[in-house]
Amino acid sequence: MKKENKNNNNIRYILFFLFMFALFIIITILNINIGSVHISVSKIFKIIFFRQGEKGYYNIIWHIRLPRICMAAILGGALSLSGLLLQIFFNNPIAGPYILGISSGAKMVVALTLVYLLEKIGRVSSITLIIAAFAGSMLSIAFILLLSKYIRSMSVLIIGGIMINYICSAVTDFVITFASDSDIINLHGWSLGSFSASNWRDVGIAFVVVTITSVTIFFLAKPISAFLLGEAYAKSVGVNIKVFRVVLILLSSILSACVTAFAGPISFVGIAVPHLIKRGLKTSKPIIVIPACFIGGSIFCMVCDLIARTAFSPTELNISTVTAIFGAPIVIVMLIKSSKGR
Amino acid sequence: MDYFVKASKLAVGYGGKPLLKDMDFGIEKGEILTLIGPNGSGKSTILKSITGQLGTISGTVYIGENELRSIDYKDMAKKTSVLLTERVRPELMTCYDVVALGRYPYTGKMGILGREDEKIVLESMEKVGITTLKDMDFQRISDGQKQRVLLARAICQKPEVLVLDEPTSFLDIKYKIELCSLLKKMAKEENVAVILSLHEIELAEKLSDKLLCVKGDGILHFGTPEEVFKKDIIMELFDIDKKAFEMYFSKVVFYD
Repeated sequence: MKKENKNNNNIRYILFFLFMFALFIIITILNINIGSVHISVSKIFKIIFFRQGEKGYYNIIWHIRLPRICMAAILGGALSLSGLLLQIFFNNPIAGPYILGISSGAKMVVALTLVYLLEKIGRVSSITLIIAAFAGSMLSIAFILLLSKYIRSMSVLIIGGIMINYICSAVTDFVITFASDSDIINLHGWSLGSFSASNWRDVGIAFVVVTITSVTIFFLAKPISAFLLGEAYAKSVGVNIKVFRVVLILLSSILSACVTAFAGPISFVGIAVPHLIKRGLKTSKPIIVIPACFIGGSIFCMVCDLIARTAFSPTELNISTVTAIFGAPIVIVMLIKSSKGR
Repeated sequence: MDYFVKASKLAVGYGGKPLLKDMDFGIEKGEILTLIGPNGSGKSTILKSITGQLGTISGTVYIGENELRSIDYKDMAKKTSVLLTERVRPELMTCYDVVALGRYPYTGKMGILGREDEKIVLESMEKVGITTLKDMDFQRISDGQKQRVLLARAICQKPEVLVLDEPTSFLDIKYKIELCSLLKKMAKEENVAVILSLHEIELAEKLSDKLLCVKGDGILHFGTPEEVFKKDIIMELFDIDKKAFEMYFSKVVFYD
């Protein structure tokens, strides 16, 4: 009986992953294919694999669509994983980088840095932006951790996060309002979230940062699993809680900072995706859920980005507009369920 | 006397302030030590301190040859396991998964269970009588069942010292009795030192080799049930007068 069940579970996991890979490939192809300029499949094939084709089409594929797809995939995965870590850390399924105000903190510091540096030097490197976003994330996290010392109730803590959201957004809006004209266009689009300005250099940087962080998280699956029973039990089986707490928060912040630096704050992915993945897999074992959440986040963001750029083409929607439409209802359902459970 | 777990001049408390001090007690392997005392007397604080969950304020705790402070987390996890009073609510985990977390100190880098580990997990579940709950979602079972799952988790950690904070809460009379026989068996057959706190003094008297009465700023009494279970000690411990006590508890037999 035991064996059978274990096999059933393994089959479920394998099927789930196969399904996700298939979905990933399908959505990638759709994303390359669909756009305001129609390019036939055979032409796309030639452009990608033989690097042949008309200059205009070639540029659209190689310099606009592909980097954007890669960015959505990398950052979507990062966002989902960042949410998962926060949920484990706070032992609450509705924790996430956006709702706790971590994305907004990053947004605020990035906006300040952008405006300041553009005025002084005239340009800002991607690395500077990541560092600024990371500093902002840490600022918000520090505040949330401080609050969590006094507030035991998770729902109240999340209200704290939403307040941080408002404060940071207010500061960001203020900066944008008084920034010089040329900066505003960039800044405004970015502060609402979008993958539209992606280029290969940024994709490369995001890829390196997110890969290193995510692989590290995967190899921490064991202590993370012990954390699922709470800190006291984790400590009793030999996890160095003090170090591990810091590591968990740092890794989560690096991921969400990277997302904010390149695409602006993106809502709900960090909560909705881990939830759907865990329901689908019927487990919360980190060793399985961590990679699944990454792929799930990638798919989710690629789908949302496809919708964002095609639904009202040629006008583009902000990515957060789309993720919120799909993500918010999922979170509401979770809230209702969790209050029933108690 | 050479105890396996030994506290000497121990002071425990929170935030550097001693709640209880000057405590000396200890037990050997194969013995059961029960902490009794009124609510809020600090039984949990003592248990947390001797398992390293909470830093001690002064004095020393020995486990085997070593001082508690010098044992690192990982070795400590192989020596002691705990059942705590705090609620756990892991999402989407089967009871088997929860029990299996007890194998943590023994599994490799990625925490994957080996054949031997799986065997021990199932054995532990069998001992506690929860084999049928194996594939149930931990969130969906009753409090009493949860308590037993967590007990199985503590057992499968294969400790030399088993520490249980109020293990009888949520258990009905049948499982209380089963728990007691299980603890006795663990102590006698597997030579485990069992330390627990109990509210049911009548159980404590039957179960324990040693009793630790906790009250005020330290230990009121430490000794065998025969030494401790005297009317005046128990009445002083729980602040109850003779009349009220005899009304409900006269059936408890005291040693003279």
